[in-house]
Amino acid sequence: MNSSFFQRCRRFGRAKFLTPKDFLIRAAVITGFFLIAHLAGLREYTSFLSGTVASPDMGWQQAAFFGLVYLILYFAFVLLVPILLLAALLQILFRSFLRG
Amino acid sequence: MKAETFHRYLLGTVSLLLAAGVWLPCVHLFFKKDPETFRCKESIAPKARELAARHLQLWTDPGLRRQELEKMRASNAEWDFMGRSFLVWSLANMGLREPASKQAYLQVMDQIIDETIKLEQEHGIYFFLMPYAKARSYDVQPARSLFLDGEIALMLAARRILEEKPEYKTQLAERIRLMVERLKHGALPIAESYPDECWTFDHAVALAAIKLADHLDGTDHEVLLRDWIAMAKQKLLHRESGLLVSSFTLRGDPLDGPEGSTIWMVAHCLQLLDEDFARDQYQRARKELGRTVCGFSYAREWPKSWNGPMDIDSGPIVPVLQISAGASGMAFTGASAFGDDAFLSSLAATLDFSAFPSRRNGRLKYCASNQVGDAALLYAAVLGPLWEAIKGQSKR
Repeated sequence: MNSSFFQRCRRFGRAKFLTPKDFLIRAAVITGFFLIAHLAGLREYTSFLSGTVASPDMGWQQAAFFGLVYLILYFAFVLLVPILLLAALLQILFRSFLRG
Repeated sequence: MKAETFHRYLLGTVSLLLAAGVWLPCVHLFFKKDPETFRCKESIAPKARELAARHLQLWTDPGLRRQELEKMRASNAEWDFMGRSFLVWSLANMGLREPASKQAYLQVMDQIIDETIKLEQEHGIYFFLMPYAKARSYDVQPARSLFLDGEIALMLAARRILEEKPEYKTQLAERIRLMVERLKHGALPIAESYPDECWTFDHAVALAAIKLADHLDGTDHEVLLRDWIAMAKQKLLHRESGLLVSSFTLRGDPLDGPEGSTIWMVAHCLQLLDEDFARDQYQRARKELGRTVCGFSYAREWPKSWNGPMDIDSGPIVPVLQISAGASGMAFTGASAFGDDAFLSSLAATLDFSAFPSRRNGRLKYCASNQVGDAALLYAAVLGPLWEAIKGQSKR
Protein backbone atom coordinates (compact mmCIF):
# COMPACT_ATOMS: atom_id res chain seq x y z
CA MET A 1 0.00 0.00 0.00
CA ASN A 2 2.83 2.34 0.91
CA SER A 3 4.71 1.60 -2.27
CA SER A 4 1.64 2.22 -4.42
CA PHE A 5 1.02 5.53 -2.59
CA PHE A 6 4.60 6.67 -3.25
CA GLN A 7 4.41 5.46 -6.84
CA ARG A 8 1.26 7.52 -7.31
CA CYS A 9 2.98 10.54 -5.76
CA ARG A 10 5.98 10.07 -8.04
CA ARG A 11 3.74 9.75 -11.09
CA PHE A 12 1.91 12.91 -10.06
CA GLY A 13 5.24 14.61 -9.47
CA ARG A 14 6.31 14.02 -13.06
CA ALA A 15 5.03 16.84 -15.18
CA LYS A 16 6.23 18.54 -18.31
CA PHE A 17 7.71 22.00 -17.76
CA LEU A 18 5.21 24.89 -18.01
CA THR A 19 2.12 22.71 -18.12
CA PRO A 20 -0.89 23.21 -15.79
CA LYS A 21 0.18 20.14 -13.82
CA ASP A 22 3.68 21.60 -13.45
CA PHE A 23 2.22 24.86 -12.11
CA LEU A 24 -0.01 22.99 -9.63
CA ILE A 25 2.89 20.90 -8.32
CA ARG A 26 5.04 24.00 -7.81
CA ALA A 27 2.19 25.77 -6.01
CA ALA A 28 1.69 22.74 -3.76
CA VAL A 29 5.40 22.49 -2.93
CA ILE A 30 5.64 26.21 -2.04
CA THR A 31 2.49 25.95 0.10
CA GLY A 32 3.90 22.90 1.90
CA PHE A 33 7.23 24.56 2.68
CA PHE A 34 5.52 27.78 3.80
CA LEU A 35 3.20 25.88 6.13
CA ILE A 36 6.15 24.04 7.68
CA ALA A 37 8.03 27.32 8.22
CA HIS A 38 4.93 28.98 9.65
CA LEU A 39 4.16 26.13 12.05
CA ALA A 40 7.82 26.05 13.11
CA GLY A 41 7.42 29.66 14.30
CA LEU A 42 9.90 31.24 11.88
CA ARG A 43 7.58 34.27 11.56
CA GLU A 44 9.10 35.63 14.82
CA TYR A 45 12.54 35.79 13.22
CA THR A 46 11.44 38.37 10.64
CA SER A 47 12.32 40.93 13.34
CA PHE A 48 15.72 41.00 11.65
CA LEU A 49 14.03 43.47 9.25
CA SER A 50 13.97 46.03 12.07
CA GLY A 51 17.51 45.20 13.12
CA THR A 52 16.33 43.24 16.16
CA VAL A 53 17.30 39.68 17.04
CA ALA A 54 14.19 37.60 17.82
CA SER A 55 15.93 35.74 20.63
CA PRO A 56 18.90 37.17 22.56
CA ASP A 57 20.21 33.61 23.04
CA MET A 58 20.51 33.05 19.31
CA GLY A 59 23.24 34.47 17.10
CA TRP A 60 22.38 37.34 14.77
CA GLN A 61 23.28 35.38 11.62
CA GLN A 62 21.22 32.32 12.53
CA ALA A 63 18.18 34.45 13.45
CA ALA A 64 18.49 36.46 10.23
CA PHE A 65 18.77 33.23 8.21
CA PHE A 66 15.53 31.87 9.70
CA GLY A 67 13.84 35.23 9.12
CA LEU A 68 15.00 35.36 5.52
CA VAL A 69 13.77 31.80 4.87
CA TYR A 70 10.34 32.75 6.21
CA LEU A 71 10.32 35.98 4.21
CA ILE A 72 11.08 34.21 0.93
CA LEU A 73 8.52 31.45 1.55
CA TYR A 74 5.85 33.96 2.63
CA PHE A 75 6.22 36.12 -0.46
CA ALA A 76 6.34 33.01 -2.64
CA PHE A 77 3.12 31.81 -1.00
CA VAL A 78 1.30 35.16 -1.24
CA LEU A 79 2.57 36.25 -4.65
CA LEU A 80 3.67 33.17 -6.61
CA VAL A 81 1.14 30.53 -5.56
CA PRO A 82 -1.92 32.48 -6.76
CA ILE A 83 -0.09 33.33 -10.00
CA LEU A 84 0.71 29.65 -10.57
CA LEU A 85 -2.88 28.62 -9.86
CA LEU A 86 -4.26 31.33 -12.13
CA ALA A 87 -1.75 30.42 -14.85
CA ALA A 88 -2.81 26.76 -14.66
CA LEU A 89 -6.45 27.75 -15.01
CA LEU A 90 -5.72 30.14 -17.89
CA GLN A 91 -3.71 27.51 -19.72
CA ILE A 92 -6.50 24.95 -19.41
CA LEU A 93 -8.92 27.53 -20.82
CA PHE A 94 -6.54 28.43 -23.67
CA ARG A 95 -6.05 24.78 -24.59
CA SER A 96 -9.75 24.01 -24.63
CA PHE A 97 -10.32 27.16 -26.71
CA LEU A 98 -7.56 26.25 -29.20
CA ARG A 99 -8.90 22.74 -29.55
CA GLY A 100 -12.18 24.31 -30.52
CA MET B 1 12.88 22.56 -30.72
CA LYS B 2 9.79 20.58 -31.58
CA ALA B 3 6.64 22.51 -32.47
CA GLU B 4 4.77 20.88 -29.57
CA THR B 5 7.44 21.97 -27.05
CA PHE B 6 7.52 25.46 -28.51
CA HIS B 7 3.73 25.79 -28.19
CA ARG B 8 3.86 24.52 -24.60
CA TYR B 9 6.56 27.03 -23.64
CA LEU B 10 4.72 29.85 -25.38
CA LEU B 11 1.38 29.01 -23.80
CA GLY B 12 2.97 28.51 -20.37
CA THR B 13 4.83 31.81 -20.48
CA VAL B 14 1.81 33.76 -21.74
CA SER B 15 -0.36 32.18 -19.00
CA LEU B 16 2.17 33.10 -16.31
CA LEU B 17 2.48 36.69 -17.54
CA LEU B 18 -1.27 37.13 -17.76
CA ALA B 19 -1.80 35.60 -14.34
CA ALA B 20 0.84 37.93 -12.85
CA GLY B 21 -0.79 40.88 -14.62
CA VAL B 22 -4.12 39.98 -13.05
CA TRP B 23 -2.91 39.01 -9.55
CA LEU B 24 -0.23 41.57 -8.66
CA PRO B 25 -2.42 44.69 -8.96
CA CYS B 26 -5.14 42.90 -6.92
CA VAL B 27 -3.06 41.71 -3.92
CA HIS B 28 -3.51 44.99 -2.01
CA LEU B 29 -7.29 44.52 -2.07
CA PHE B 30 -6.88 41.63 0.37
CA PHE B 31 -4.93 43.83 2.81
CA LYS B 32 -6.54 47.23 2.36
CA LYS B 33 -9.01 48.24 5.04
CA ASP B 34 -10.90 51.34 5.99
CA PRO B 35 -8.46 53.86 7.61
CA GLU B 36 -10.83 53.87 10.61
CA THR B 37 -9.59 50.39 11.55
CA PHE B 38 -6.18 51.98 12.17
CA ARG B 39 -7.12 55.47 13.37
CA CYS B 40 -10.50 56.80 14.50
CA LYS B 41 -11.12 60.52 14.67
CA GLU B 42 -12.95 60.41 18.01
CA SER B 43 -12.42 57.07 19.75
CA ILE B 44 -9.63 54.47 19.72
CA ALA B 45 -9.42 52.30 16.59
CA PRO B 46 -9.53 48.49 17.02
CA LYS B 47 -5.95 48.03 15.84
CA ALA B 48 -4.68 50.77 18.17
CA ARG B 49 -6.44 49.08 21.07
CA GLU B 50 -4.77 45.75 20.24
CA LEU B 51 -1.34 47.37 19.91
CA ALA B 52 -1.83 49.20 23.21
CA ALA B 53 -2.89 45.97 24.94
CA ARG B 54 0.42 44.40 23.95
CA HIS B 55 2.39 47.39 25.31
CA LEU B 56 0.43 47.53 28.54
CA GLN B 57 1.18 43.83 28.99
CA LEU B 58 4.91 44.56 28.58
CA TRP B 59 4.74 47.14 31.38
CA THR B 60 2.83 44.86 33.74
CA ASP B 61 4.97 41.76 33.12
CA PRO B 62 8.58 42.55 34.16
CA GLY B 63 9.98 39.34 32.62
CA LEU B 64 8.45 40.01 29.23
CA ARG B 65 9.53 43.66 29.36
CA ARG B 66 13.13 42.74 30.20
CA GLN B 67 13.18 40.29 27.29
CA GLU B 68 11.84 42.88 24.80
CA LEU B 69 14.16 45.63 25.99
CA GLU B 70 17.20 43.34 25.89
CA LYS B 71 16.44 42.50 22.27
CA MET B 72 16.36 46.17 21.35
CA ARG B 73 19.28 47.29 23.50
CA ALA B 74 21.43 44.65 21.79
CA SER B 75 21.06 46.74 18.61
CA ASN B 76 20.43 50.27 19.84
CA ALA B 77 19.99 51.70 23.35
CA GLU B 78 18.13 54.68 21.84
CA TRP B 79 15.25 52.37 20.90
CA ASP B 80 14.74 51.39 24.54
CA PHE B 81 14.34 55.08 25.35
CA MET B 82 12.21 56.03 22.34
CA GLY B 83 9.92 53.05 22.88
CA ARG B 84 9.15 54.53 26.32
CA SER B 85 8.59 58.04 24.90
CA PHE B 86 6.24 56.96 22.13
CA LEU B 87 4.25 54.82 24.53
CA VAL B 88 3.82 57.63 27.08
CA TRP B 89 2.77 60.10 24.34
CA SER B 90 0.36 57.47 22.97
CA LEU B 91 -1.20 56.80 26.37
CA ALA B 92 -1.70 60.55 26.94
CA ASN B 93 -3.62 60.76 23.67
CA MET B 94 -5.57 57.61 24.53
CA GLY B 95 -6.48 59.00 27.95
CA LEU B 96 -7.77 62.19 26.32
CA ARG B 97 -9.78 60.10 23.85
CA GLU B 98 -11.12 57.71 26.47
CA PRO B 99 -11.39 59.40 29.90
CA ALA B 100 -12.90 56.26 31.46
CA SER B 101 -9.54 54.46 31.12
CA LYS B 102 -7.44 57.46 32.16
CA GLN B 103 -6.40 56.10 35.57
CA ALA B 104 -5.09 52.85 34.10
CA TYR B 105 -3.07 54.77 31.51
CA LEU B 106 -1.74 57.25 34.10
CA GLN B 107 -0.43 54.40 36.22
CA VAL B 108 1.64 52.99 33.35
CA MET B 109 2.76 56.46 32.21
CA ASP B 110 4.06 57.28 35.71
CA GLN B 111 5.81 53.92 35.94
CA ILE B 112 7.59 54.52 32.63
CA ILE B 113 8.51 58.15 33.40
CA ASP B 114 9.83 57.36 36.89
CA GLU B 115 11.86 54.36 35.73
CA THR B 116 13.31 56.25 32.76
CA ILE B 117 14.40 59.22 34.88
CA LYS B 118 15.80 56.86 37.53
CA LEU B 119 17.87 55.01 34.91
CA GLU B 120 19.14 58.31 33.50
CA GLN B 121 20.10 59.50 37.00
CA GLU B 122 21.77 56.21 38.01
CA HIS B 123 23.68 55.47 34.80
CA GLY B 124 24.04 58.93 33.23
CA ILE B 125 22.98 60.13 29.79
CA TYR B 126 25.06 57.50 27.99
CA PHE B 127 22.73 54.70 29.13
CA PHE B 128 20.21 55.66 26.43
CA LEU B 129 22.69 56.81 23.79
CA MET B 130 24.65 54.91 21.17
CA PRO B 131 28.27 54.11 22.12
CA TYR B 132 29.79 56.71 19.78
CA ALA B 133 28.48 59.42 22.14
CA LYS B 134 31.54 58.65 24.27
CA ALA B 135 34.00 58.95 21.38
CA ARG B 136 34.55 62.66 22.08
CA SER B 137 33.34 65.24 24.56
CA TYR B 138 30.35 67.48 24.12
CA ASP B 139 31.18 71.03 23.04
CA VAL B 140 28.86 72.50 25.67
CA GLN B 141 29.61 71.29 29.18
CA PRO B 142 28.32 69.69 31.33
CA ALA B 143 27.29 67.08 28.75
CA ARG B 144 23.56 66.89 28.06
CA SER B 145 21.61 65.43 25.17
CA LEU B 146 18.65 67.31 23.70
CA PHE B 147 17.42 63.90 22.52
CA LEU B 148 16.90 62.81 26.14
CA ASP B 149 15.83 66.15 27.60
CA GLY B 150 13.33 66.86 24.82
CA GLU B 151 11.62 63.47 24.89
CA ILE B 152 11.51 63.31 28.71
CA ALA B 153 10.11 66.85 28.79
CA LEU B 154 7.42 65.89 26.29
CA MET B 155 6.59 62.79 28.37
CA LEU B 156 6.23 64.94 31.51
CA ALA B 157 4.16 67.58 29.73
CA ALA B 158 1.89 65.01 28.07
CA ARG B 159 1.27 63.36 31.43
CA ARG B 160 0.44 66.70 33.04
CA ILE B 161 -1.97 67.62 30.28
CA LEU B 162 -3.84 64.37 30.87
CA GLU B 163 -3.82 65.07 34.63
CA GLU B 164 -1.72 67.43 36.73
CA LYS B 165 0.94 65.92 38.99
CA PRO B 166 2.83 68.43 41.21
CA GLU B 167 6.12 66.44 41.29
CA TYR B 168 6.27 66.52 37.52
CA LYS B 169 5.68 70.28 37.42
CA THR B 170 9.09 70.99 38.98
CA GLN B 171 10.78 68.26 36.94
CA LEU B 172 9.35 69.66 33.69
CA ALA B 173 10.32 73.22 34.61
CA GLU B 174 13.91 72.07 35.25
CA ARG B 175 14.14 70.19 31.91
CA ILE B 176 12.75 73.20 30.06
CA ARG B 177 15.20 75.52 31.83
CA LEU B 178 18.13 73.29 30.85
CA MET B 179 17.01 73.01 27.23
CA VAL B 180 16.34 76.73 26.85
CA GLU B 181 19.73 77.50 28.43
CA ARG B 182 21.43 75.29 25.80
CA LEU B 183 19.37 76.66 22.95
CA LYS B 184 20.35 80.19 23.94
CA HIS B 185 24.01 79.31 24.60
CA GLY B 186 25.42 80.01 21.14
CA ALA B 187 24.74 82.36 18.26
CA LEU B 188 22.12 79.96 16.88
CA PRO B 189 19.25 78.25 18.77
CA ILE B 190 20.83 74.81 18.49
CA ALA B 191 21.67 72.15 21.11
CA GLU B 192 23.62 68.90 20.91
CA SER B 193 22.15 65.41 21.05
CA TYR B 194 25.56 63.82 20.49
CA PRO B 195 28.92 65.67 20.58
CA ASP B 196 28.58 68.45 17.97
CA GLU B 197 25.77 66.43 16.36
CA CYS B 198 22.34 68.02 16.45
CA TRP B 199 19.14 66.45 15.14
CA THR B 200 16.09 68.13 13.64
CA PHE B 201 13.93 65.35 15.13
CA ASP B 202 15.20 66.13 18.64
CA HIS B 203 14.79 69.90 18.19
CA ALA B 204 11.23 69.49 16.92
CA VAL B 205 10.31 67.27 19.89
CA ALA B 206 12.05 69.62 22.36
CA LEU B 207 10.30 72.70 20.93
CA ALA B 208 6.94 70.89 21.08
CA ALA B 209 7.66 70.14 24.75
CA ILE B 210 8.49 73.82 25.37
CA LYS B 211 5.23 74.81 23.70
CA LEU B 212 3.30 72.37 25.92
CA ALA B 213 5.12 73.67 29.01
CA ASP B 214 4.18 77.25 28.07
CA HIS B 215 0.57 76.13 27.87
CA LEU B 216 0.72 74.34 31.23
CA ASP B 217 2.72 76.84 33.29
CA GLY B 218 2.01 80.16 31.63
CA THR B 219 5.64 80.71 30.58
CA ASP B 220 6.42 82.37 27.25
CA HIS B 221 9.08 81.10 24.86
CA GLU B 222 7.47 82.39 21.66
CA VAL B 223 10.57 84.38 20.68
CA LEU B 224 12.81 81.32 20.99
CA LEU B 225 10.35 79.19 19.01
CA ARG B 226 10.12 81.82 16.26
CA ASP B 227 13.91 82.20 16.17
CA TRP B 228 14.33 78.46 15.71
CA ILE B 229 11.85 78.34 12.82
CA ALA B 230 13.61 81.30 11.18
CA MET B 231 17.03 79.66 11.66
CA ALA B 232 15.73 76.34 10.27
CA LYS B 233 14.30 78.01 7.17
CA GLN B 234 17.55 79.85 6.62
CA LYS B 235 20.13 77.14 7.36
CA LEU B 236 18.52 73.69 7.48
CA LEU B 237 16.53 73.43 4.25
CA HIS B 238 17.92 71.05 1.63
CA ARG B 239 18.18 73.14 -1.53
CA GLU B 240 16.93 70.54 -4.05
CA SER B 241 13.95 69.14 -2.12
CA GLY B 242 13.09 72.01 0.24
CA LEU B 243 12.95 69.47 3.09
CA LEU B 244 14.63 70.00 6.44
CA VAL B 245 17.91 68.12 6.76
CA SER B 246 18.07 65.53 9.52
CA SER B 247 21.28 66.45 11.34
CA PHE B 248 23.69 69.37 11.62
CA THR B 249 26.51 70.82 13.67
CA LEU B 250 26.30 73.45 16.41
CA ARG B 251 27.13 76.02 13.71
CA GLY B 252 24.12 74.91 11.68
CA ASP B 253 26.13 73.16 8.95
CA PRO B 254 24.21 70.12 7.62
CA LEU B 255 25.71 66.70 8.38
CA ASP B 256 23.04 64.80 6.43
CA GLY B 257 20.36 65.50 3.90
CA PRO B 258 16.63 65.00 4.52
CA GLU B 259 15.65 61.58 5.90
CA GLY B 260 12.32 59.78 5.98
CA SER B 261 12.97 58.45 9.47
CA THR B 262 13.11 62.09 10.68
CA ILE B 263 10.93 64.35 8.56
CA TRP B 264 7.47 62.86 9.20
CA MET B 265 7.73 63.32 12.98
CA VAL B 266 9.31 66.75 12.50
CA ALA B 267 6.38 67.89 10.36
CA HIS B 268 4.00 66.62 13.04
CA CYS B 269 5.80 68.55 15.81
CA LEU B 270 5.96 71.66 13.64
CA GLN B 271 2.14 71.65 13.63
CA LEU B 272 2.37 73.18 17.11
CA LEU B 273 4.87 75.83 16.08
CA ASP B 274 4.09 76.90 12.51
CA GLU B 275 1.13 75.21 10.84
CA ASP B 276 1.93 76.46 7.32
CA PHE B 277 5.57 75.40 7.50
CA ALA B 278 4.48 72.02 8.90
CA ARG B 279 2.06 71.40 6.05
CA ASP B 280 4.63 72.51 3.49
CA GLN B 281 7.15 70.01 4.94
CA TYR B 282 4.55 67.22 4.96
CA GLN B 283 3.53 67.85 1.35
CA ARG B 284 7.14 67.95 0.23
CA ALA B 285 7.90 64.73 2.13
CA ARG B 286 4.84 63.10 0.61
CA LYS B 287 6.03 64.07 -2.88
CA GLU B 288 9.72 63.31 -2.40
CA LEU B 289 9.55 60.23 -0.16
CA GLY B 290 6.06 58.70 -0.33
CA ARG B 291 5.55 56.03 -2.97
CA THR B 292 2.69 53.69 -3.95
CA VAL B 293 3.25 50.53 -5.99
CA CYS B 294 0.36 48.18 -6.85
CA GLY B 295 -1.77 49.77 -4.11
CA PHE B 296 0.88 49.42 -1.39
CA SER B 297 2.43 52.61 -0.01
CA TYR B 298 5.81 53.01 1.60
CA ALA B 299 8.40 55.70 2.22
CA ARG B 300 11.92 56.14 0.97
CA GLU B 301 14.61 57.21 3.42
CA TRP B 302 16.06 59.81 1.07
CA PRO B 303 14.71 61.95 -1.77
CA LYS B 304 16.12 61.29 -5.24
CA SER B 305 18.35 64.34 -4.92
CA TRP B 306 20.18 62.97 -1.86
CA ASN B 307 21.71 59.59 -1.17
CA GLY B 308 22.75 58.94 2.40
CA PRO B 309 24.23 55.85 4.00
CA MET B 310 21.99 53.04 5.25
CA ASP B 311 22.09 53.19 9.06
CA ILE B 312 20.31 52.17 12.25
CA ASP B 313 17.59 54.82 11.66
CA SER B 314 16.76 53.91 8.07
CA GLY B 315 16.79 50.16 8.74
CA PRO B 316 17.51 47.84 5.81
CA ILE B 317 16.72 49.45 2.44
CA VAL B 318 15.03 47.29 -0.20
CA PRO B 319 17.02 47.90 -3.39
CA VAL B 320 15.41 49.31 -6.57
CA LEU B 321 12.22 50.53 -4.81
CA GLN B 322 14.31 52.09 -2.00
CA ILE B 323 11.81 50.97 0.65
CA SER B 324 12.94 51.94 4.15
CA ALA B 325 11.39 50.22 7.16
CA GLY B 326 12.23 53.17 9.44
CA ALA B 327 10.90 55.84 7.08
CA SER B 328 7.77 53.83 6.26
CA GLY B 329 7.00 53.31 9.96
CA MET B 330 7.35 57.03 10.69
CA ALA B 331 5.29 57.93 7.59
CA PHE B 332 2.24 56.71 9.54
CA THR B 333 2.72 59.63 11.94
CA GLY B 334 2.82 62.13 9.07
CA ALA B 335 -0.18 60.65 7.26
CA SER B 336 -2.20 60.46 10.47
CA ALA B 337 -1.25 63.97 11.67
CA PHE B 338 -2.18 65.58 8.35
CA GLY B 339 -5.35 63.55 7.80
CA ASP B 340 -4.01 61.94 4.62
CA ASP B 341 -6.42 58.98 4.71
CA ALA B 342 -5.55 57.61 1.25
CA PHE B 343 -1.83 57.40 2.12
CA LEU B 344 -2.57 56.07 5.62
CA SER B 345 -4.83 53.34 4.27
CA SER B 346 -2.21 52.21 1.72
CA LEU B 347 0.54 52.31 4.35
CA ALA B 348 -1.62 50.17 6.64
CA ALA B 349 -2.11 47.69 3.76
CA THR B 350 1.68 47.46 3.38
CA LEU B 351 2.04 46.94 7.12
CA ASP B 352 -0.40 44.03 7.18
CA PHE B 353 1.13 42.58 4.02
CA SER B 354 4.79 42.74 4.92
CA ALA B 355 5.28 43.34 8.66
CA PHE B 356 3.78 40.00 9.77
CA PRO B 357 1.08 40.85 12.31
CA SER B 358 0.76 38.41 15.19
CA ARG B 359 -2.38 38.44 17.36
CA ARG B 360 -2.74 36.66 20.68
CA ASN B 361 -5.57 37.18 23.20
CA GLY B 362 -6.51 40.57 21.79
CA ARG B 363 -2.90 41.76 21.71
CA LEU B 364 -1.17 42.72 18.49
CA LYS B 365 2.47 42.98 17.57
CA TYR B 366 4.27 43.09 14.25
CA CYS B 367 6.93 40.39 14.05
CA ALA B 368 9.05 42.35 11.57
CA SER B 369 9.02 45.33 13.93
CA ASN B 370 10.12 45.72 17.56
CA GLN B 371 8.79 47.47 20.66
CA VAL B 372 9.82 50.96 19.52
CA GLY B 373 8.43 50.37 16.03
CA ASP B 374 5.10 49.17 17.40
CA ALA B 375 4.97 52.06 19.90
CA ALA B 376 5.55 54.56 17.06
CA LEU B 377 2.71 52.91 15.12
CA LEU B 378 0.49 53.14 18.18
CA TYR B 379 1.32 56.84 18.48
CA ALA B 380 0.36 57.38 14.83
CA ALA B 381 -2.93 55.58 15.47
CA VAL B 382 -3.97 57.74 18.44
CA LEU B 383 -2.25 61.13 18.01
CA GLY B 384 -4.33 64.26 17.82
CA PRO B 385 -6.00 65.17 21.13
CA LEU B 386 -2.75 66.29 22.80
CA TRP B 387 -1.89 68.76 20.03
CA GLU B 388 -5.54 69.83 19.76
CA ALA B 389 -5.57 70.67 23.48
CA ILE B 390 -2.74 73.15 22.90
CA LYS B 391 -3.91 74.53 19.59
CA GLY B 392 -7.45 75.00 20.91
CA GLN B 393 -6.08 76.93 23.88
CA SER B 394 -3.86 79.08 21.65
CA LYS B 395 -6.84 79.97 19.47
CA ARG B 396 -8.86 80.98 22.52
